[in-house]
Parts: sequence; structure tokens; C-alpha cells
Amino acid sequence: MFHKVRLTIILLALALCAPAFQGRADSGGASMSQKADTGGDCSPCHRTSSPSMDDLLPNSQCRRPRAHENLREDDAAVPDVVTMGQLTDIYVPVVFPHGLHAKMEAIGNGCSACHHHGEEGKIVSCRTCHTESTDPGNLRQPGLKGAYHRQCLACHREWSHDTACIFCHAKRGALGEAASKPDPTDITGKLHPNVTVPEKKVYPTEEQEAGSMVTFHHKDHVDLFGKRCVDCHQKENCSRCHDSAGPQKHVRQDSHEDCVKCHDTSDNCAKCHKDHEEGPFDHDKSTLFMLKEFHKQVACKQCHTEGKFAIGKKSCKDCHAPDWFSKAPKEFDHAKAGLVFSEAHKDNECEACHPNGLGEAPDCTACHDDKAYPKDLPGQRVPEAPEAADGNK
Amino acid sequence: MENSTFDRRQFLCRAGAVGLAGLSLAQPALAATDIAEGYGVLVDTTECIGCRKCEYACAKSNELSDLPLEGFEDRSVFNEPRRMTADAYTVVNRYDDTAHPERPTFIKVQCMHCLKPACASACLVGALRPQSNGAVTYDPWKCMGCRYCMVACPFQVPAYEYDHALTPKVSKCSFCFERVSKGGKAPACVDICPPMCLTFAKRSELLTLAREKVKAHPEQYLDHVYGEHELGGTSWLYLTSRPVTELGLMEFGEKPIPEYTEPLQHGIFKHGVPPMLLFGLLAVATKTFHHKEDE
Repeated sequence: MFHKVRLTIILLALALCAPAFQGRADSGGASMSQKADTGGDCSPCHRTSSPSMDDLLPNSQCRRPRAHENLREDDAAVPDVVTMGQLTDIYVPVVFPHGLHAKMEAIGNGCSACHHHGEEGKIVSCRTCHTESTDPGNLRQPGLKGAYHRQCLACHREWSHDTACIFCHAKRGALGEAASKPDPTDITGKLHPNVTVPEKKVYPTEEQEAGSMVTFHHKDHVDLFGKRCVDCHQKENCSRCHDSAGPQKHVRQDSHEDCVKCHDTSDNCAKCHKDHEEGPFDHDKSTLFMLKEFHKQVACKQCHTEGKFAIGKKSCKDCHAPDWFSKAPKEFDHAKAGLVFSEAHKDNECEACHPNGLGEAPDCTACHDDKAYPKDLPGQRVPEAPEAADGNK
Repeated sequence: MENSTFDRRQFLCRAGAVGLAGLSLAQPALAATDIAEGYGVLVDTTECIGCRKCEYACAKSNELSDLPLEGFEDRSVFNEPRRMTADAYTVVNRYDDTAHPERPTFIKVQCMHCLKPACASACLVGALRPQSNGAVTYDPWKCMGCRYCMVACPFQVPAYEYDHALTPKVSKCSFCFERVSKGGKAPACVDICPPMCLTFAKRSELLTLAREKVKAHPEQYLDHVYGEHELGGTSWLYLTSRPVTELGLMEFGEKPIPEYTEPLQHGIFKHGVPPMLLFGLLAVATKTFHHKEDE
């Protein structure tokens, strides 16, 4: 019997977790399905319709696409430090903080930003494909030395402005020993420091109209609307943040590109482009649906399940009925509605106080001549708890 | 080295013996078809980071300088554009990009190894010659130090050992001729390049590769392979992201320099016309005067 209960609990737990797993699979699956989207024809990204490992040349539409991005199922399989020592001659092996880079993969272009052209579903190391010297038969694929350098320098030459060899390489001494030995533990586990989320950003949009500006409440999007950094910050280059010499890089070429994922930007420009700075999001003002204390504590997505906030659940009954009104009272914990009954009221039937229906305001007159809700209460308020309104008992 | 002096003297004696026969000693350039399948190097300037390793490898391989690697790590040299010298067959220059200050362009320059080289056409003694493998080689044993090649070269490549009073030589990149033809290796600069922005292969393959790169990444490259057609084509080819004129490279037409000069030179001396004409006139004049004296 006990085993049966335990099994039920496990199954129940799995069932509850399923949406979470589903979500994870979906987020990665989007990239994996890129290939399927083309109906098996690889030519949208590759020069030929069925590229081989020898001929993976991408066409102009594609810059190291996410098509072959691997899902990083197992974080433990991601090496923290990779020591690159096959080609050392003048210099000692380079200790590469792989983990540090891998942690930023989501904001960049996924693992495939570096592990490009790999076989689908697999992450392969550089040397799997790149031979030590360039294969004369395949000039398109540089040798390992070129692959390493190009990969690192693609970003580093921009953001560090330093392409001196010594930036990454420690030189060999006269006896072939490192002048200073790189310590692999030195960088192990180092992570990119947390990024401070800006409160808001005001973008002047003079080209739209003189004096026009868009106020973007960055923090609201993260804290209230549950946007993850990577929802907007995709295919970013380190130099976007790190390159002080290129401030123009910090301006998105087309800011609509990100907004349009949730907002309809096709008409009504004035909704965002205003002649003044706009205050933070106010549910009451923007939607005319007043949030009282109970609902204020409900996470946005409890009601706005679709992700797109405009298509939220409009009716209370979508949440509260029919189950809530018919079944809930039996086990309903009234404290959830912000009120703990006094001894005298504890055993009342629901309908005794809510004659007009559950979810409606209580009526005290059936028992009391001189009491009236909400001036008088049948018990104690739960500290900082909601008023019994909005459909609560 | 000493031999070259001797050689020059010997050459001049022989040249004197030949006299003013009017025969041009300039060697005709090899037909373009002979060297179309020669080797070349494609320089992808968008990948170059200005590490100057090519300068180091070149100096070491050609025994031009005993400067250690550290000597080539000085990046202040980029403040001024440099030209090739007797001690440096190749130099890298930096060209800042105002639109992208974070990505300056680095341009390695050396002998372009023209398919129809003006230097070889100008050389009176055939010391400079285009070879079938794509290199334009220099033979100091033949050179008499006239430095016409330095004037003729449109890319202003050849330098001169002015500080060698007795045995000066013209100096320029040899395309590592010995390494390439005998050792089967790539030139020293190509071998060392860390981002492998130099690709050594048959010129025709490089042109295919260059076109593929341009097509695949039009945002990265201008649709122009510098050296493909310039002055009849060069063995060294350049892919750039900016107009070459911004990068210290000159714009040229497609006609090789020798095609401007050689028709004139060769036309005059064709079939020995000028000497025949000269001696004919002399003969006529002598005969005429003789007749007059007799009378």
C-alpha cells in the first residue's frame, strides 16, 4: 500500500514537472527545427542542397547559424578549462576558459557560435575537423591554427582592441619553458559578472517626429513581464557592451525587431513614441482593470498565460469557475482570501454570508442588524492580506 | 657577393664585345599561359591582426635581420606607413577605419609577383624573371645595379642595398623560391601566419576561393580581388573590406606595363631594321661621297 502511494506521488510529481521539461525542450528545439523548416533542403544555409562534411560552405544567408546548435543537456560535460597545446612552438599552451565562454552562450549565438558546422546534435572540438595544416584539397577550411585564432579574434579583436600575441600567449623561455607558467586553476569557474539591469532606457526617435522618444522600462520587462535576457539579447557580440570606442554599436539597428516579438508595431506609433518620458507600467491605467491587493500579488502569467499580455484571461471564471465555485468551498482555506474567521463564524455555511453567490460581497444582515461589510469583519485580517473582493469568499 | 662584382665587369666586357648591334638584351616576358597555373597567395586582409609574424618569419628565413621575435612586437611602427627596405622584403601597415575604429585594417605588402612584370621587362640583363611557378626571381649574379626595376615597378617594391658600397643588390621578396620549388613548402610568411589569412595555392584555385568568400560574405568583402586583373594579374591576390585606395594600394588598369613599353622598343628593333637602315644609309652616303671624290 505504501509503495502504491509512493508511486502515485512520484507519478504526480513527474506530471507536474512535465510542462517544465516541455518548456526546456521547446526552447532548444526551435533552433533544431530550423533544418526541418526547409523540408530537408539545406540550400537556404548551405551552398549545396545536401552538403557533406567536405563541403559545408554556407551561403550568403547564413553566418554560423544555429541550425546545428547542440542542446547542452549536461552542464557537467562542458569543460571548464581547455588547454590548447598542439601547435605550440614559440609560445606555451594557451589555457582557455571554456566554461566562462559557455556560460554566455545563450546571449551570444549559442554553442554553435564557436562550434560551427558541426554535425547536427553533436558538439565537436575544433581539431575534429581542422587539421594541423590546411588541407590543400580543401582551402575553405583553415588549419587548426587558423581556426583557433579566427574564432577567438572574431570577438576579441573588437572588444579588447588588443591583438598582441602576448594577450593570450605566454612566451617560451630559452629552454622551452614558460616564462611564467599559466595556472589552469586560475580561471577555473570564473564567470561573467552579473549584469546590472537598467531601470529604464529612453531612446530619442527624432527620425519619427521631432521631440519624439520611446521610454523602455527595462526592469519592468525583466521583473514584471518575466522576460529573460536572451529573449531580446540574442546573437550579441561581446563588443556591444565592451567596446568603448564604438558607442554606435550600442544602438540596435532596428529596435522594432525585438519589440515586435510581443508588441504590435504595425500601427499606432504614438503608443510607444511619445513626446515625453513615460512612467513605468501601471496595470490600472493601461488596462483599466484595477488590481486590488489580492490580484496585485498574483504573478502576471497566472492570468496572462499566453505570454502575450494582451491576450490574458479576461474572465474571473477562467480562473475561479466552475471548479472553484462549486468544489472549492469544501476545502477552501478562507485565509487565502485574507481573512481568518472568528470562532463564531468558523462553522458557517458559505451561503450564509454570501447569499448572492460565492465570489460576491458578503451580506451580514441575515444575522446582524448593525453590522455591515466591509466596515465590520467576521474575523481577523491576515496581515497584508487581500480584501475579500474580486470573487473571493 | 664578391663574385657579383666580377660578374658585372665580365658582363660589361661581353656587352662591349657585342657592340652596338642594337640587339635588345631584355628578355621577353614568359607568355601568360605559361604561368597562369603558377602558385599564388591570397591575402584575406579582413582576418589580418597586424601581429607582424610574417615580417619576423621573412627576416629569419631570408637571413635579413637577426632581430629576435621581440623586435617585431613593437606596434608603434604602425603609426607611419612603411615601405619595403633592403632588410625587409615584407612590411605590414595599419589603416584605421573611421567607421569601425575597433577594427583597423592591416595590409601586408611585398612583391606582388606580377604575371607580366614591368621590372623584368625593364631589366637590361635579365636578372629579374617571371618563373613558371608564379614567382618573379632576382639573380644578383646578372644584376648590374642600374635600378631600372625600381623605377619600373608600379607597386614600388624593389629596394636597394645602398649601404653596401661594393656589392649592392636589389632586394625584394623571392616568393621563397627555394622553399617552394625545392622544399615543397609554402613561403615562410604563409606558414607562420597565426590567423592563416595567407593562403598558398595555385592561383586559379585562389581565385575560386576568393570568389566563394565574397559570395558567401558580401558584408565582409568588397567584390573585387585585387591582383586578379591589375596590370595583367599578379600572383599575390588581396581580398579587402574597403576600397584599396584607402589601404595604400594603388588602382591600376588591366593592361600590363610591358605592353606599353615593349611594342615601342621591340617595334623599332624588329628584324634589325634600325641597324640595317643605319648601315644602309652609311653605305649609300659613303658610296656617294666616294663617287664625288673620284670625280
